[in-house]
Amino acid sequence: MTKHVPIGLIETPFQPRLEALSTAKSWTNWAGYVSPAMLDTVEFEYFAIRNQCTLFDISPMHKYRITGPDALKVVNRLVTRDAAKLRDGRVGYVLWCDEEGMVIDDGTLFRFSETDFRLCCQEPMYTWLLDTAWGFNAEITDESQDIAALSLQGPTSFSLLQDAGLQVVAEMKPFDWREIEPDLWVSRTGFTGDLGYELWVPNGKALELWDRLWAAGGHWGLKAIGFEALNICRIEAGFIAAGFDFQPVHTAMRLGRGRSPLELGFGKMVDFTKGHFNGRRALLKQQEAGLRYHLRKIDIGGFKPADGALIYHKKKKEVGHVTSGVWSPTTKRNIALAEFKAPYGESITDDLWAEVYVNEEGQWDRRLVPVAIEEKPFFINSRARATPPRPF
Amino acid sequence: MGQHDRFDAIVAGAGHNGLTAACYLAKAGLKVLVVEKNDWIGGAAVSRSLHEGWTYSNCSYVCSLLRREIVRDLELPKYGLQVIPYEGGASFDSDGDYFAYMSDHDALRREISRHSARDADAYDRFSQTVIRQCRFIRPFLLRNAPDPTSLKPRDIGELLFLIKQAHGLGKKELGETLRFWSMSIGDFLDEHFENDLIKAHIAGAGIIGTGLGVYSPGTAYVLLHHYMGDVDGAIGAWGFARGGMGAISNALGACFEEAGGTIVTGSGVDRFLVSNGRVTGVALANGDEYHAPIVASNMDVKRTFLQHTGEQYLPGDFVKAVKRFKIRGSSGKLNIALDALPEFPAAPKGAPFLRGDLHCAESLNELERAYDDWKEGRWSQNPYFDMLIPSQIDPTMAPPGKHMMTVFVQYAPYDLEVGGVRAGTNWNGQTRGAFANCVFDKLEQACPDIRSKTVHAEVRTPWDIEQEVGLTEGNIFQGELTFDQLLFNRPVPGYAQYDTPINGMYIVGSSAHPGGGVMAAPGANAAREILRNIGRGGNMTGYAA
Amino acid sequence: MTTPNYDAIVIGAGHNGLTAAATLARKGKSVCVIEKNATAGGMARNTTFANGIQAPEIAHLLYNLHPKVKKELGLGSVRAPLEVRDLPAVSLSEDGNHAVIRNGKAELADGRPHPETAPFGELMRRLTLFAGLLGQLSTKSPPSLEDGLASLDKLTELAGLAKLGLDLKRMGKKDMREFLRVLLSNAYDLILDDLEDGPLAGALAADAVRGAFAGPRSPGTVFSLMYRLGQGGGAQLPLGGMGAVAAAFETAARAAGAEIRTGTGVARVLTENDRAAGVVLEDGTEISARAVLSNTGPMPAMILAGAEHYDVEAVRRMRNQRCKGTAAKVNLVLNSAPKFKGLSPELTAGRLLIASSATYVERAFNPAKYGEMPENPVIEAVIPSLSEPGLAKDAQHVLSAVVSSVPYALEGGWDEAARESLAAVTIATLEKYAPGIGALVSDCQVLSPACIEARTGAPGGHWHHAEMGIDQILTVRPANGMAHYRFGPEGYYLCGAGAHPGGDVTGLAGRNSALQLLKDGVI
Repeated sequence: MTKHVPIGLIETPFQPRLEALSTAKSWTNWAGYVSPAMLDTVEFEYFAIRNQCTLFDISPMHKYRITGPDALKVVNRLVTRDAAKLRDGRVGYVLWCDEEGMVIDDGTLFRFSETDFRLCCQEPMYTWLLDTAWGFNAEITDESQDIAALSLQGPTSFSLLQDAGLQVVAEMKPFDWREIEPDLWVSRTGFTGDLGYELWVPNGKALELWDRLWAAGGHWGLKAIGFEALNICRIEAGFIAAGFDFQPVHTAMRLGRGRSPLELGFGKMVDFTKGHFNGRRALLKQQEAGLRYHLRKIDIGGFKPADGALIYHKKKKEVGHVTSGVWSPTTKRNIALAEFKAPYGESITDDLWAEVYVNEEGQWDRRLVPVAIEEKPFFINSRARATPPRPF
Repeated sequence: MGQHDRFDAIVAGAGHNGLTAACYLAKAGLKVLVVEKNDWIGGAAVSRSLHEGWTYSNCSYVCSLLRREIVRDLELPKYGLQVIPYEGGASFDSDGDYFAYMSDHDALRREISRHSARDADAYDRFSQTVIRQCRFIRPFLLRNAPDPTSLKPRDIGELLFLIKQAHGLGKKELGETLRFWSMSIGDFLDEHFENDLIKAHIAGAGIIGTGLGVYSPGTAYVLLHHYMGDVDGAIGAWGFARGGMGAISNALGACFEEAGGTIVTGSGVDRFLVSNGRVTGVALANGDEYHAPIVASNMDVKRTFLQHTGEQYLPGDFVKAVKRFKIRGSSGKLNIALDALPEFPAAPKGAPFLRGDLHCAESLNELERAYDDWKEGRWSQNPYFDMLIPSQIDPTMAPPGKHMMTVFVQYAPYDLEVGGVRAGTNWNGQTRGAFANCVFDKLEQACPDIRSKTVHAEVRTPWDIEQEVGLTEGNIFQGELTFDQLLFNRPVPGYAQYDTPINGMYIVGSSAHPGGGVMAAPGANAAREILRNIGRGGNMTGYAA
Repeated sequence: MTTPNYDAIVIGAGHNGLTAAATLARKGKSVCVIEKNATAGGMARNTTFANGIQAPEIAHLLYNLHPKVKKELGLGSVRAPLEVRDLPAVSLSEDGNHAVIRNGKAELADGRPHPETAPFGELMRRLTLFAGLLGQLSTKSPPSLEDGLASLDKLTELAGLAKLGLDLKRMGKKDMREFLRVLLSNAYDLILDDLEDGPLAGALAADAVRGAFAGPRSPGTVFSLMYRLGQGGGAQLPLGGMGAVAAAFETAARAAGAEIRTGTGVARVLTENDRAAGVVLEDGTEISARAVLSNTGPMPAMILAGAEHYDVEAVRRMRNQRCKGTAAKVNLVLNSAPKFKGLSPELTAGRLLIASSATYVERAFNPAKYGEMPENPVIEAVIPSLSEPGLAKDAQHVLSAVVSSVPYALEGGWDEAARESLAAVTIATLEKYAPGIGALVSDCQVLSPACIEARTGAPGGHWHHAEMGIDQILTVRPANGMAHYRFGPEGYYLCGAGAHPGGDVTGLAGRNSALQLLKDGVI
């Protein structure tokens, strides 16, 4: 019998719990899955991330396993940094490029061993990985449908895990990852810039994991959250998001819309000495010829979030635009990521202005507000890196 | 000669391109006459009632390429044109399975993965390439094809435009573009996909209407020709004209008449009147004569010049070029009135993709073999078809509870071979019936009860299409879409800008750039050229200005 | 750093490899050619039967040897002797009314004028004119797409194109228009627009698709026909067999100072810091060099250097290259000279074509598309010993036949039985024109496209290393982004037929690649 595929959005294993918690009934489409934009309100979900701890269902992420004698070779052929320097049981942030040196996607690389990696990313990458592995002794497995994952983030997340009987995570440093119980892998990673963990289980054990965490969550203020609150936190942490801050080049219909890792500010993540990797020759050329764009963190004057705003030099010349902009409730600043046309944002950093439109109950106003370039993430807290972690 | 038979311009043939040209000319203030041999207008964009209660789009049957600029200029919705997109499509295999094309991208990925996990990403890469090529080509549809041998500023300007567009692509994409334009759809699909059913599903768009096989170079371009349209900006989407394809012609006709134009039906052009190298009018088959300094032929280039214009008025080289212009018919049609909706046992009941284009091709080799049959003068023993049931979406096409099915069939030769002789006249009741039987046999692969639900079927071979519509050899594009017949080569090198060796005489049909597919672009482009040549170019609004 | 052993290493002593070596050596570079087979020459070698009679192993005629290569290498001079004889083409007809093409003119085998002499002559005039124009592009690197079309520093490369454009204009509007019309068109329509569908049309159609994975109705076959007509379209029989051609190239390379090592192939290409550094031989010997040129097919060249040195897209393009060979080689040892119906001994010694019509050629190709054995194949046959009696042995002759429309990927695979059946098909086909020929066969040798791949390394056994379709020529040969002979790591070059301008014994790919390497300043 033919197994007909479902039409419309499908559910992750956690959906029964999310459904029960959703008062906002605000769902979005994440890679074909139902995913909460918010479950309750963005405001309270946001503060739960920064004050307590939160659960976000990251099961729709694409997960691929790269295994075999040539796994390391394949990974190093794929990504711009040197995966040989990543130790077993560690996680690395990685980017990978097409032949023109334009970013295809970014994601996290989990190293089990030299012959076994997992790549976790936003965009579907199965065929690209197969193409990358062609001619090598390595196997690519798409685990996206098999592995469920939760992101537990916030200052009390360690305490919660302790109460849930998972105190062994105490020894884990940021970017460590290990199997702490059979079929339960934990990585000290996240998308908030704060203390946090990601927990990975086979689909069949998903609800069990949720219930176990939820049972321990009362005192620690555990709250389930949706995408919007998380998005504020990731901008505060200065993390870029595919489709917002850069257009993954394989999804760019128009030419020239791709950006290189150098242009996105990840020069340090490109290791030209490790041998050939995809896009290396093009990136060397670009480095020589000069970058076309600079993606920067910026502070924007005033209180109006400037998402999508155009940026001007001397209030006249259009030199860039905001790719992600929010009001940061923790730092009490108007923050954003913005793309500048070179040399703006790099050698020319003063006299920059963002154009903001304000609608005050039907009355529209156009304002030019000052832009200042920031070097560091907007949200920095030492609790994020402390090992063992502090209780809150 | 009275005032009533004198016009500023005469258009021979009320096909959609003839009407489009006539609309633009009339709206520019010209006194325009359209003459049509049939008792109805529309050419191959018609809705006909051939079985009581049913409406058949008995030639062209779906709409996408009709240029939106023209729809807007001529305000066709005001005259009743309504285009409704359909929701997907499917190809059924012989093992009771199917591949469904779904408009929901995530569901489509799941469906592709069901057949091949690898092909799901490949589809995204494929459609990205195709849309990129569509974006590249679309600006050229409503422009003149430059004459590369000419030093006229306008031709050089058009050439520069082409170079500028190409330059904008950058080196990598330019290389990919060169390859894409010269590849076969089969090779292009083999580069992307591994699953036969998926490849076969997509490949149809590369061969529809052509005398080429899926592995003939140039068919990737033909695919583009079918993808470069849109419905409300959704590139590549296809839709139904509500009330059948005749709705397009009827809207054009209404627009034309409101602009003061005259349509005379029931007698076609017998010959174009030429005097001192200038066209002076037309003489109809019924003996009537009409006169005008401008005459535009909506007929294909062979019919226009080899049947209705005296060869003595034309340069020998031109006649030779027209003779060698390839207008090979390769497709037939079945229009079927159904007592009820057929069952599709393989598909979920009521699946949205059943309201789209349905096929039974399973592999590229199957399609290529279908082409081999055609080369030998046979209809394909295992034919490709593009089948739709528009009455599921358009309630005007059939009585309540009943349905109308349109089946485009490829390949069917114009000059059918019987007993070693190839001739169009070999199409008779018997061969037509055998052809229909062959198609029904294959339709049963998708819907086994099709025969029992059929109340009437119209069988149309390339021969029939030529006899009724006037398209030479029944070719739906008024000339094959191969590179030797595109752009500045269409229809004749040196006469690719709608002009002809006879002063005042123009070609406005799909034999001219950019070709067929119910785009209306040749008609609109030709009108622009005519108006420019008579110094009326400035009077137009809209795109033709 | 130690001094490298050589300035350049050339992998493979096919004629292009030898031309590249000779070109570099003539500029004073130290060059070593490595050949895995015991003798140099690639597809241009002789083979010897059990009874000692010699025959062309694969290729048997010269069509397109480029005068520039000939002159620069001194082929046919004292330096590298090579003697050739022009052969008429005889397109056989079952009714004995064979068409003969001699110096581009049509006649009938019995000496009567061919009824289509005039239209054929006019068609050939146009085609050779156009072929000559296109030929201008063959002696240089293909026009670059680097930085789009308008970059000023590419003007020198574009100059070639500009000259082509100018010469196009100079032809006059009529010919220019015809050129632009037919360039991407199909041979079948082009031929039949002017000729009846008989042996004369068949001969042109067969020449348009020989070695190609295409029938004459495929668009793009006019281009391949023009390519074949690059040097006028005549075929030349090398005296001493194709082995003499190999020997001449080898002699020229050695005379220029190149070293040639045979008998051990290259296992892999060494790279250091994304630069070619030498080769490792199959026996483990390392030889260092500042540049490496590969006369192999594009994909094998990539594998030698290691896929990890190529971007994923480049590898994908290589994997997608169309290189399905369709020409098999059948050598038949005949007990005596065969008799063809209606052919004089002089014409029997010609280039014999079995291609009775363009439709025949198209039909012949049909089975190949599906991996099936042809029933009525197109054949090009020559009996060299009729032109050069010294080659015959004990009154025995070898009929050398290139059998077209033979699939590389035969359904069921190429085993002994399949090869025997191909020999049987070949003999049966010849029998229709030379009754009794089958009884003369005393020995035979069959090389399927798969065997040709095994012997020469040519991917798919393809004569041109990669299909000469419009989507695989000029700026996209061997692949988009790789058209300037530079092949991945710096200092690594492709010098074989897979590179611009393509196949046939022209020597141009080898010559052009060597010149590009010198221009790039690698050595």
